[in-house]
Amino acid sequence: MPSPSGGGDMRRVTGAPDRTVRALQWAMAGLAVLFIGGIVVWIIHLIRTAWQLQDVPSASIGISLVAIPVFLTLLGVILYVFWGLLGDRGER
Amino acid sequence: MALWGMVIDLDRCTGCQACVMACKAENNVPAVGAKEAHRGRIISWMQVLTEEDEEHPGEVKRFLPRPCLQCDNPPCTKVCPVYATYRNPEGIVAQIYARCIGCRFCMAACPYNAKYFNWYRYQKDAPGQNPDVSVRPKGVVEKCTFCHHRLQKARERALAERRELAPGEYVTACAEACPARAIVFGDLSDPGSEVFRLARSPRAFRLQEELGTKPKVIYLTEGEGRG
Amino acid sequence: MADRADTRDAALLAPIELTGRGFYLTVGLLSLLILWGAIAYWTQFDEGLGVTGLHQPVSWGFYVTNFVFFIGISHAGTLISAILRLSKAEWRRPITRMAEVITVMVLFIGAGQILVDLGRPDRMMNIIRYGRYQSPLLWDATSISAYLTASIVYLYIPMIPDIAILRDRLGKRKLLYTVLALGWQGTEHQQKVLNRAIAIMAVLVIPIAVSVHSVVSFVFSMTLQPMWRSTIFGPYFVVGAIFSGIAALIVAMLVFRKAYGLHGYLKPIHFRYLGQLLLVMSLLWFYFTFAEYLTAYYGNEPEEMHVFWAKFSGPFWPFFWGMALTNFVIPVLCLVRLGRRTIGKVLIASLSVTVGMWLERFIIVVPTLSNPRLPFGEGIYFPTWVEWGELAGSFALFALFFVLFTKLFPVISIWEIREGREVGLKEVEERLLTYLPDTAEPRHAEPERGW
Repeated sequence: MPSPSGGGDMRRVTGAPDRTVRALQWAMAGLAVLFIGGIVVWIIHLIRTAWQLQDVPSASIGISLVAIPVFLTLLGVILYVFWGLLGDRGER
Repeated sequence: MALWGMVIDLDRCTGCQACVMACKAENNVPAVGAKEAHRGRIISWMQVLTEEDEEHPGEVKRFLPRPCLQCDNPPCTKVCPVYATYRNPEGIVAQIYARCIGCRFCMAACPYNAKYFNWYRYQKDAPGQNPDVSVRPKGVVEKCTFCHHRLQKARERALAERRELAPGEYVTACAEACPARAIVFGDLSDPGSEVFRLARSPRAFRLQEELGTKPKVIYLTEGEGRG
Repeated sequence: MADRADTRDAALLAPIELTGRGFYLTVGLLSLLILWGAIAYWTQFDEGLGVTGLHQPVSWGFYVTNFVFFIGISHAGTLISAILRLSKAEWRRPITRMAEVITVMVLFIGAGQILVDLGRPDRMMNIIRYGRYQSPLLWDATSISAYLTASIVYLYIPMIPDIAILRDRLGKRKLLYTVLALGWQGTEHQQKVLNRAIAIMAVLVIPIAVSVHSVVSFVFSMTLQPMWRSTIFGPYFVVGAIFSGIAALIVAMLVFRKAYGLHGYLKPIHFRYLGQLLLVMSLLWFYFTFAEYLTAYYGNEPEEMHVFWAKFSGPFWPFFWGMALTNFVIPVLCLVRLGRRTIGKVLIASLSVTVGMWLERFIIVVPTLSNPRLPFGEGIYFPTWVEWGELAGSFALFALFFVLFTKLFPVISIWEIREGREVGLKEVEERLLTYLPDTAEPRHAEPERGW
């Protein structure tokens, strides 16, 4: 397995306290959830509007059937990386 | 439910452009000025196009008054991203200035070039405006609406007088102004109306019919046709 | 081990550690161009789109051309990086980071072009509140959002080990790098997570990228206008996008190779391979263009022929033939023999293609609008200083984003280079061995039955 060795030494990260860094990192994850969640909510809003106005709802539904899974997959990858990397720190 | 349409008899049209002037006066269409006109920015909801004779260039073969053709299958409403233009149940293609974001997609999609854009704020001072028609801000698309405000006024009057809307009570400004009576306006779904009858004339044709836009402005060709 | 590798790749960290005069000069020049663009846009915002050369019937011009052009360039990055990663091409290693950065930065510029083109940008939230999915512009909005998200993710995740290097080695911006490094320590579990995520993204990003330029083409092909209404537009635009993207990537690589002295990492072989890809795309682009125009010409439909002749011999002939020259003739001549002076030939070809693809977008957008179906009168389009300023400012803003990125993060992926050194050779050798025919004894000594 190739080794993308970045850090090298196991010294504790100096500088900012651990908790601030952690908080910022999980805030990043939270932002991703908000952003992609917002897009999904937006797409659903557009479906609802088209349905209420009976304005080619098929277009909205058809596109959302592809778009929403794509966005959720992206969110899944992001959260997988965050959890996989950040969650690992407590396991050593 | 009414289906508003128009028949324009090209044999009667003299190219006088009274319809154009009446439309501009009625709908507060701005005069953009000579400099802007030279740059191709004239706004003319009703516009008289001229077809030239191919064999004798420069000779006008036909005058074609072209309002918005109020298609029943409009290519412009499909592409609007924000519901700023749509076909209402009575067949008029609405244009909502307050919603329009000025993307000009409908302009690119219209095969008749019936849509116009406010490239500047053209209506800073405009004396003698028609108070029934809203003045458009800069950056939005506008087009012929079959003088929809006249329909609203006529309907309200009929409602106040507790009666139905009489045929001929609602006419567009261009139909009203044409001195040759080349423009006939009315309800295409009313079998007794003149537009209904004329629309079925053997001289009748629709512009770019093969595109499937189903325009509700029907033209009567010159000469005797197949009649 | 860490120390030896450290000094070997010092050149990759140098731009982040030190800032020379060239940087300030570059930023200064770019800022001037951006200022021109900003003044141009402010004039337009204040007075209206009338300050451009647009009119009826040519109501779309530079801005929509730029939109298609910049979104097209975005296919450089992510697509090339993803495809090269998936095909395990070892020569991708110094390229992927720059490719991914191009995509992210240029998507902002591309999407911004549409906002610049709006008559009422103050109402842009209407797209969010009242969007109609029947309109190709909403398909654009959704697709480009997906692509932007995916590209940012696809840029960030492979950057994490490099950010960890910066966190541990660089003196400054400690907090930024610590936060962004997500606690990377290179443990086996973390490596597995990272590689799996990169693999998923490499697969996911390709259909998203294809969808982006397809829906951009649908803005035109979903109308009824002559020479827009063409079924070939989807694939044509995607091919054109990849084509222009590779060219832009090569130009960017050559610029930073010179500016940061990366000759040891970006070697002639890399440009040879990219040059060959560029040649293939040039031929492919030519094929699509030829098919498109031959079909129109053979059909001889009057409305289409108006537009056709306008491009071929009418007012747009300099742009049409300029496009053919810069997109096909020059690249093929330069790239067909890449033996000597590889870098020079590839540079000329790439610059030529960049210009040519912009001309191609222009040739698609304007002549159709200029020749309306009804006897409206042919529309001639002359862009004003506002549109030129916006174009210059857009390029400069993209370049500035890129340059600022290289000041914060390594422009070549350090960990992937190291990975290539440490395990690349072995992996490739193992892979090659699996291609070779089996040398083991056959299990059945008899001849095969049924013969």
